[in-house]
Amino acid sequence: MTFHQARWDEPPVWDLAPSADLEAPPTVPGIPEKLRRKAAVRWPELSELEVVRHYTRLSQMNFGIDTSPYPLGSCTMKYNPKVSELLARRPGAADVHPYQPEATVQGSLELTWRLERLLARITGLPEVSLQPAAGAHGEYAAMLMVRAYFRDRGELAERSEVLLPDTAHGTNPASAAMAGFTTREIRDKNGSVDLDELKHALSSKTACFMLTNPNTAGLFESEILEIAEAVHGAGALLYYDGANLNAILGVTHPGRMGFDVAHLNLHKTFSTPHGGGGPGAGVLAAGEKLGPYLPVPRVVKVGRKFRLDYDRPKSIGKIKTAYGNFGLDLRAFAYILSLGEEGLKHVSRRAVLNSNYAASRLGKLLPRPFRTLVKHEFVLSGAPLKEKGVRTLDLAKRLLDEGVHAPTVYFPALVEESLMVELPETESKRELDGYIAAFERAVTDTPENLRAAPRSLSVTRVDEVRAAREPLLSWKDLRAASAKAETQ
Amino acid sequence: MARWISEEPGEEAALLDALGISSTDALFADVPKKARIGRMGVGPAREEPEVVAEVDQLLERNRPLSKFASFLGGRVTSRYSPAAVDSIVSRSEFYSAYTPYQAEASQGMLRTLFEFQSLWVEMTGLDVANASLYDGASAAGESLLFCRRIHEGSRFLVPASLPWEERSVLENYASGPGLTVATVPYDDRTGRLDLDFVRDAVAKKDVFGMLADLPNGFGHIDEGVPELKSILGDIPLVVAADPLSLSVLEAPGNYGADVVVGEGQGFGIAPSFGGPLLGLFACRKEHVRSAPGRIVGATLDTEGRRAYALTLVTREQHIRRSKATSNICTNESLMALAFVVYATVVGPRGLARLQTTIAEKARTLASGLGAIDGLKSPRFDAPYLGDFTVELTRGSAEDFLDRLRRRKVLGGHSLKDPRPGATPGPDRILVGVPETATEKGIQKYVRAAQATVGAAGRSS
Repeated sequence: MTFHQARWDEPPVWDLAPSADLEAPPTVPGIPEKLRRKAAVRWPELSELEVVRHYTRLSQMNFGIDTSPYPLGSCTMKYNPKVSELLARRPGAADVHPYQPEATVQGSLELTWRLERLLARITGLPEVSLQPAAGAHGEYAAMLMVRAYFRDRGELAERSEVLLPDTAHGTNPASAAMAGFTTREIRDKNGSVDLDELKHALSSKTACFMLTNPNTAGLFESEILEIAEAVHGAGALLYYDGANLNAILGVTHPGRMGFDVAHLNLHKTFSTPHGGGGPGAGVLAAGEKLGPYLPVPRVVKVGRKFRLDYDRPKSIGKIKTAYGNFGLDLRAFAYILSLGEEGLKHVSRRAVLNSNYAASRLGKLLPRPFRTLVKHEFVLSGAPLKEKGVRTLDLAKRLLDEGVHAPTVYFPALVEESLMVELPETESKRELDGYIAAFERAVTDTPENLRAAPRSLSVTRVDEVRAAREPLLSWKDLRAASAKAETQ
Repeated sequence: MARWISEEPGEEAALLDALGISSTDALFADVPKKARIGRMGVGPAREEPEVVAEVDQLLERNRPLSKFASFLGGRVTSRYSPAAVDSIVSRSEFYSAYTPYQAEASQGMLRTLFEFQSLWVEMTGLDVANASLYDGASAAGESLLFCRRIHEGSRFLVPASLPWEERSVLENYASGPGLTVATVPYDDRTGRLDLDFVRDAVAKKDVFGMLADLPNGFGHIDEGVPELKSILGDIPLVVAADPLSLSVLEAPGNYGADVVVGEGQGFGIAPSFGGPLLGLFACRKEHVRSAPGRIVGATLDTEGRRAYALTLVTREQHIRRSKATSNICTNESLMALAFVVYATVVGPRGLARLQTTIAEKARTLASGLGAIDGLKSPRFDAPYLGDFTVELTRGSAEDFLDRLRRRKVLGGHSLKDPRPGATPGPDRILVGVPETATEKGIQKYVRAAQATVGAAGRSS
């Protein structure tokens, strides 16, 4: 092993300096006594250099796509182009308030409008809103639109059920449930939607079928046209979860496949950074049935001017303050401009090529549960590891010791001890071979070493069971715990 | 074209060879012919300098805040952020990471989020904060669903002064489970919540929660908020608080708030035309298993070292699916980093100083505008910390703001709901005073307003 992460013995920020005196902060005239803060916010007073060192040290104990291949399936951890970071920080982008008069934000409005047109072409769905802040937020908004659509048709009381395959991301059933639908999972057949099961489940109660294509097993749902026909035949709508769009750019699109509405994750396919958990951007694209229900405002072009249009009587209204996550929209716009038509097609071709290459090599080390032709990601089963007394979790931790991130683990749940691997187009063959070699070293290592992993990171195996059983969720909890320990 | 995909000679051929195929076409054999598309129509590729030039050309059609004397307020602010904040946020070990699913490889982000949670706990006086939600409005929406999980009922009370955008977001969050957002009227002179109305509503036994915002939608501080909990009893109280205000205002947990949500954008995050923002959420420990969103917990590693991990995940969508407390997956972690770095660089005393300075400037502007015939400023007889409401006694808010703009003053935003069919409201403007406002800028606004209202008076 040649990899060693930084291991700073860095205390929490509150242990770096005493907290400010807890005396009351200065008063603001007019604020009544009962609303005045009696003690200052308990937080340390540090010099700027101390703060910068603290967070720089923490950053050195963190993997990112800039430090390591990061093959989380369905997360599309591709390179985040530096030029996008540069542009998003321009004063013309960052120093602009959402409530400025339209005449002073024509650039932001035009960029939004042009990005919407580009995404409409990429998805084949003509009506686009950039408002949702993340993929799940887009799903949720779309489910609210589905509700509004059936309410207008007088069918809402009956159409109370959303169907989804058992391979669906957890956000899908959660979003449908939050929007007031009951959910029902359709069992798969060899990793794909079982069309007969679906037809059997569809009824006058069905509001929508939510589908990811290619799905989370990495398989393209080849019966998609039959699926769309069956769903529409039952009077229901078809929802596209765009988490896996990176596989099919320029080959097919949700519109052609028969979807009525789609969300896209700009932080996956369109290269905007994921920020260690967010922000994201969960653009919605809709066809003619659901287009009128998109959130307001919509951006429209009137002559040569761009305007915010609130005159959409069927719209569900707002799902967040202001508009979309403009900082990310701008990055995605720069990405699409850079690549153009051929570049975007090349993205998917190379992502799928990388994936199939890695799948064929890694498939020699662990079994692949489904058919061999995959799209941008694939699933392995770590079940054979059990023969030597270890699990997928141990393999994941051992991979970290190689200086590479682990795949998504234990999802999709239909595969025992699953690993979902996605190595996008920005990984070169050298990086792929490096990852495969690391994987081979990890999978063939001794059970002792696997169980003892990781050893090269800032901490060893983290006790997540203890974290959940004895929750310590803030500095306040830590103080209480140490006070309790002292009295014992 | 960009060099983001390796084009080493022979590389692609070697990958194809290994698969025994001659072209990537074979990899798409599973896509039926009838589902194929021709051209998408997204245009040609561009080199990096061309992209920079094209985006810059678009951005030149914006006039950033620095070109104006700007007094835009509301949940999004244009507060100055020390350069150190963006320097840390720009570290790609942070920004190019995914959600910290593998705790051992992601201690940096996990520890940062733990510090962020701790800070919001200290500010609010509650016990548990999550690792962020999308923005203040969606955090309020999540708080509505949270209240319904911990209390029976069908109605959620909100102030009539709530900004229309937040009201719309709340109505959406309420619509799924068939809940109702009910309006608490305010006193016309002070903007204060009508506490008798709340008492009557509570007596009907169908209220499952109430949200009150500080400052309220008019920018003012409602003195009645600390009294709400004694009226609500065991009905949960949500306070939507501006984080900077909490440097000088009592921690809402100390007067009975069960949840504190907020918009965190003002702490180190650029306005960026409204996104990304930062949703803040804190609650009491006894309710943590009903809370939405990711939570980081402290634990130990196998060698007894302090370590951190995402925890209480059985609340979440990837485990609980349709039974999850929320659908949220991607949140605003990087913005949470900005928040905690900003607060730590400025420091607790610095935050309080900043808040008192802003409040002082706001008083200067409010009274300057109040001396103008045709403007009622501040509209409400209630304290304020930076934002306040101005009402026009003649002319429209839109026209007034447009005339100010021509004089290089961004004077605030209209509080009207712009959707056709919305109840037409009075001509009110929410004015927000940034810390960077100068005496000169304030006087410029006052003079421009004087000229503008005078002009409107003559034309009407």
